[in-house]
Amino acid sequence: MTTGRERVLAAINHEEPDRVPIVIGASNATGMKAGPYHGLKRLLGVTSADRYIYDWPELGTILPSEQVMERLHADVRGVFDSFPAATLARNAARPAHSPFIDDWGSGQVEVEDGTWYPGVHPLAEATTIDAIEGYPWPDMDDPSRVAHVREAAAALAADGRYAILATPWLLFSFERAFAMQGLETFLMNLALEPEFAEALLWQIAGRCKALMGHFLDALGDDVDMIKIGDDLGTEQSLLMSPAMYRRILKPVHADYIAFIKSRTTAKVFFHTDGDVFDLLDDLVEIGVDILNPVQSGSGKLGNLAEVKRRYGDRLAFCGAIDTQHVLPHGTPAEVRAEVRRAIATLGPGGGYLLSAVHTVMNEVPAENVLAMVDAAVEFGTYPLG
Amino acid sequence: MVDLDELSLAIEDGDGDLAVELTLAAIAAGLVPQAILGAMTAAMDEVGDRFQANLIFVPEMLVSARAMRRAMAELEPILVEAGIRPEARAVIGTVRGDLHDIGKNLVAMMWRGARIEVIDLGVNVSAEQFVAAVEANKPDLIGLSALLTTTLPSMRAVVEALRRTDLGGARIIVGGAPVNEAFATAIGADAFAQDAGAAVVVARRLLGLSDHPSPPADRAASGSGAR
Repeated sequence: MTTGRERVLAAINHEEPDRVPIVIGASNATGMKAGPYHGLKRLLGVTSADRYIYDWPELGTILPSEQVMERLHADVRGVFDSFPAATLARNAARPAHSPFIDDWGSGQVEVEDGTWYPGVHPLAEATTIDAIEGYPWPDMDDPSRVAHVREAAAALAADGRYAILATPWLLFSFERAFAMQGLETFLMNLALEPEFAEALLWQIAGRCKALMGHFLDALGDDVDMIKIGDDLGTEQSLLMSPAMYRRILKPVHADYIAFIKSRTTAKVFFHTDGDVFDLLDDLVEIGVDILNPVQSGSGKLGNLAEVKRRYGDRLAFCGAIDTQHVLPHGTPAEVRAEVRRAIATLGPGGGYLLSAVHTVMNEVPAENVLAMVDAAVEFGTYPLG
Repeated sequence: MVDLDELSLAIEDGDGDLAVELTLAAIAAGLVPQAILGAMTAAMDEVGDRFQANLIFVPEMLVSARAMRRAMAELEPILVEAGIRPEARAVIGTVRGDLHDIGKNLVAMMWRGARIEVIDLGVNVSAEQFVAAVEANKPDLIGLSALLTTTLPSMRAVVEALRRTDLGGARIIVGGAPVNEAFATAIGADAFAQDAGAAVVVARRLLGLSDHPSPPADRAASGSGAR
């Protein structure tokens, strides 16, 4: 019998496995919030206590129980890094409802009960290289960040049933810059203070590389995909011009991916929201292997047939099941139709891992999550019908 | 002689220092404030058009809006003195449960660029807060924004609450990632705007204001070349 891991490896190597692999619950970007998870627990009679990825309830993304993962036909399991022990302890001891401050000094504020949002930006006012150099950047050599990684990955590898998607919790350069400065401020600095913006991106990238190095050392060979990413798109277009991307951010991404590829044979799984169609040649060029989440409701990326035709031989796709309309508001029948359409378009020849476009959000009915994965099994069995 | 086309270009290029300098020079030269204002709104129209055409992106739009705001700060006292009022007033906010504000902020900036006075209620704004702000400010437009699918019911609730109050003819425009024309119609909004550029076009249509005259072709061309 084909294992989930064999299924995923075939797909990401552009071969047809026995069926389209299913990715859910294995990272934040392919994760699930508590709403649908609680519904699934009720439907399945699961009673285990909730756990959250990164032990971070404020993020709200569930680490699903193995029983639920198996029912969802999930073919991938996640391995994560950890916040430094001191960061976890500080946040555990903080007053309830006070801001959650991460190891970088950026953080989230609770706007109303249980709703957290990035609201602490420690470099909001910075516009100079001195401000970057003077900032107390986090220590990426703290061993508590990766202390558990070797064991977690080795256990999954020994079990052998599932592909391993390893994700160090790094907002990478662009998104981390948003966290440090605020989205609008950093976007404005890209235009007004390009030298500063570039220096900030490279400073962050250096930290990310240091942690990635420790993370890869701990993983050894027990990893199939390394998940990184930066959101580059909007609903209709890009957050910056292709020219600006190529000038400022692409070299940062290229350097990071080259570093990863120099250290592991795992595939690079690149998460980037929005309509990034106009950057796909660039992403291929710098070594992206798997594109996620293929936001199928956005702009040109919504033309899945064209995306597959032009890039299907060079990129594998993970995602594409709409989370803005179909999963939250559709009927199970509409979810099945969406799954069928995505598989028919992206599945031929392999190269497709079925997943929701980003996290399955709180208002998605558990029935629709089950409809999604069951339809994936039904319509995703090769040879495709 | 102050060339107002250069003021427009400075704003389009996001050059705040130059925009301020040219505005002060135009004021000192005794140009009529309407003409100076016209150069600014023409620039922001051009910015909105280019944004909609994917010729510029959010960073460039932000710096243009900032340049406009700085130049406008110099002109505003003159406008007030001359009794020149904004063309309309709007109340805008991101609906309750949602904290994403860049889309809402871009719409507010573009509306201000179109000489619409904007009262920005911020993020996570409840139906009661919208109703209170409408009663207090008597706007012509009400803008509701959301990014999360989770907050769409909240947008519906705001529209329902507004419809139960005396809007005094104010029109409701909705937008944001999960919003589309069909949803806007279904919840009883007056219009949907796809992005910040469209928000200006839609607002003018609802208000019965004419589109700002397009800048002459040669100036638009030199604007692209200067970039």
